[in-house]
Formats: sequence, structure tokens, C-alpha cells
Amino acid sequence: MLTSANILFGIVFLGQIFLISYYFPQKILARMDYVRTSFPKSQYPRLYPKPAEYYVVGRWAFKLATRIILALGFVILFSIIFLVDHATFADDGFISEAFPAAYGIIQFLPLMALEISEFSQYKLMRKAHVATTRTAELSRRGLFNFISPTLLGMALAMYFGAILLDLYAHQFELAWGHDTVQRTIVLTITNLLLAAVGAWILYGKKLSPHQTANDRIKHIKTSLHSFFYISMAMSVFWMTQAADDIYDLDFLDATIMSVYFQLIILLSIGHTLRNMRLEDIDFDLYKERPAT
Amino acid sequence: MQIVIDIDHPEPLFAQLVQQIKQAVQTGRLSPGDPLPSIRQLANDLEMNSKTVAKAYRLLERDSVVQTKGYRGTFIHPDAKANSTIDLNAWVVNKLRETIAEFRESGVTDSEIRIAFGNVINERSN
Repeated sequence: MLTSANILFGIVFLGQIFLISYYFPQKILARMDYVRTSFPKSQYPRLYPKPAEYYVVGRWAFKLATRIILALGFVILFSIIFLVDHATFADDGFISEAFPAAYGIIQFLPLMALEISEFSQYKLMRKAHVATTRTAELSRRGLFNFISPTLLGMALAMYFGAILLDLYAHQFELAWGHDTVQRTIVLTITNLLLAAVGAWILYGKKLSPHQTANDRIKHIKTSLHSFFYISMAMSVFWMTQAADDIYDLDFLDATIMSVYFQLIILLSIGHTLRNMRLEDIDFDLYKERPAT
Repeated sequence: MQIVIDIDHPEPLFAQLVQQIKQAVQTGRLSPGDPLPSIRQLANDLEMNSKTVAKAYRLLERDSVVQTKGYRGTFIHPDAKANSTIDLNAWVVNKLRETIAEFRESGVTDSEIRIAFGNVINERSN
């Protein structure tokens, strides 16, 4: 059924389909092609710990998966607008936020698979790296070497702001199983997870054994900024949920969820692709040279 | 500045660390007050046990080349440059050489020296 809320959701959901399953996958595929043609296995063998066919098949599988999910998105959009009876499907009679949320999770699957594959590549690189000398920068890596205290302050203020707004929306009612408690737990756990991964990136072992100190600094800076932006986006999302309860904006639930998924991809993969330019990475270290 | 550790070198890893940090202080690449990486960070970067890095830092602190300021971390000592020139290892070797020479002159056998040395060391550690 075509109502103004449904049309608005349709436009926003179209953005989600395009952004996560077409625009960013295309960018990633272009980067894969650039690396494979500019730094071929014949000259940069240390960049490819697996046989060349593996990367061809991997690229093909990633493209196929994103294209199937793209097509699925259009089917879901058509069904939501024209086929699903929202009056019986959802309690409030509006488009359920479960649609963009479930589809968003499916959209992220190929990207997650790519990330896991990247980790396994780095593991193989470390295994193949047999140098007897090890180097390290004798300078301390602290959180504030990479992000400003203002950014940390803003993220913390938004985290507490989101919890306070939720408490206000529910008359400071605190009971186990209540919405506010659940949201606070989810927000806290997700932030703790981001903090743990951030600490691992900051102080942990470097993923690629060939990475230069400058490239590592760039990687840490980009990742930490991305995590802080994601944390702030999550806080904003929970604030909109609280506002939704105060102002009774149920008809916008699905649209907000779709915007949230788009925001997450922009702040994670979008931010990384924009800041980790391939032209700035030192690929010469991946050329063949005798082990030291 | 960069530190390079050779795992195949006969010198122990902690000694290589100590030596390179002292050299960096002597050549001015590290100045008083400069922060050093945390033990965990350096151990991860050099892919070595954190106990090895902790041992190197302990020895540098004993020699007043670095100082630990609680949770704020480890920093280069204000008198690090002067203290980096003192080589306690060389001093110990020289002292032992003199003492052993004296024992031998008095007719003590090497075997007796070894047993006595072991006993004294064990007394101290017990």
C-alpha cells in the first residue's frame, strides 16, 4: 500500500540496498583489481600467500554474493510496499524495523567473509615470514596520539546522553527486562567490544609482518576514528529510539533502522576506504627479497 | 627511533634491548623525559615474551637509565646519559676476574672456586 510513510521508507531502503550491496562492493572490487594489476604475484609474491586462483575465485564469489543480495533487496522492497499486510504483520500496523535490520545483516555477510579472509591471509603471511631480526618503534602508542580528547569526550557524552534520554523517556523506571535496561546493556556491550578491538589494534601484534611503521600508524588512526564514529552513531540511534517512545513515531521505526545501517557502513567501510588510500601504502615491502 | 632485535644473536634478547636503549640515549636519539613503549606494546611489536621486556626495563631502571612513574608509564631518566656509560656487566666480569686470579694465586683449584661460588650464590637466593 502506498502511504507517505511507505514511500519515505521505500526511498531510504533503496539507499540501503544500493549503498551496502552495490556502491561499496564495487569500490572494494575496484581496489582488488587495482592491487592485482599494479602489484602482480610475479613481482610481489609476499602479498599473495595463497595460489593466484584463490584470489580470482574469491573475487568472483564476493561479486556473486553481493549481486544476489542486491537482487534480494529489490524483491524485499517490492514485497514490503505491495505484498505484506502490515496491519497483521506488525502490532502497530506500520512497516516493521525487522525488515531493514534482517536485510542489513544479510548485506553485511559478504563483507564479514571478506574481513575473515583478510585475517587468514595475514596469518599465512606471518607464518611465511621467517626473518631472524625483529624491529619495533621505540615510541609509545597512546590513545591520544591517534584521537583527540574532544572526540573521546563527545563519544562518552553521547553514550551517557543516550542512556539518560532513554531513562527520561521511561520516567526513570528501572526494572530488569525493561526496555531501558536492555538498551543500556546492548549499548554498553557493543561499546566495550569496540574498545577491546581498539585496544587490540593499538597495542597488539601487527597483522602484516611487512607493514611499515607509517602504514601501521595510518591504520590505527583510521580504525580508531571509525570506532568512535560508530559508537557515536549507535548512541544517536538509541536516542532516536527514546525519542520514538516520547513522540510516538512508530511509523518511522523501519526508516530509522535503514538509515542506521547506512550510517554504520559509511562510518566503517566508507571511512576506511576514504582514509586508507592504496596509493599511500608501501607495497615495495611485499616484493621478493632474501630472508634476513 | 627503531629498535632491531636479532633472535639468532648469541647475546640474550633482554641484553640486546638494554644495550640498544642505552646506545639511543648516548647518541641523543632518546632524551630525558621521553616516554618508552609499554612492556606489552614492545613485547607484541618484537614478538617476544613480555617477561623479557620487563627484565630489560628492570635492569634499565636499576641502572637509572629509565624511571617508572606508576600508571603513566616508563620514561627516560633525567641522568640517563651519564648512567648509560656505566657498564655493570663489564664491572662484574672485571671484579670476578681479579678475585679468581687471587684465589688461584693462593692455590685454590677451579673446582673449589666453582663449588664455593655456587654455595655463595645459593645462600643469597635462599
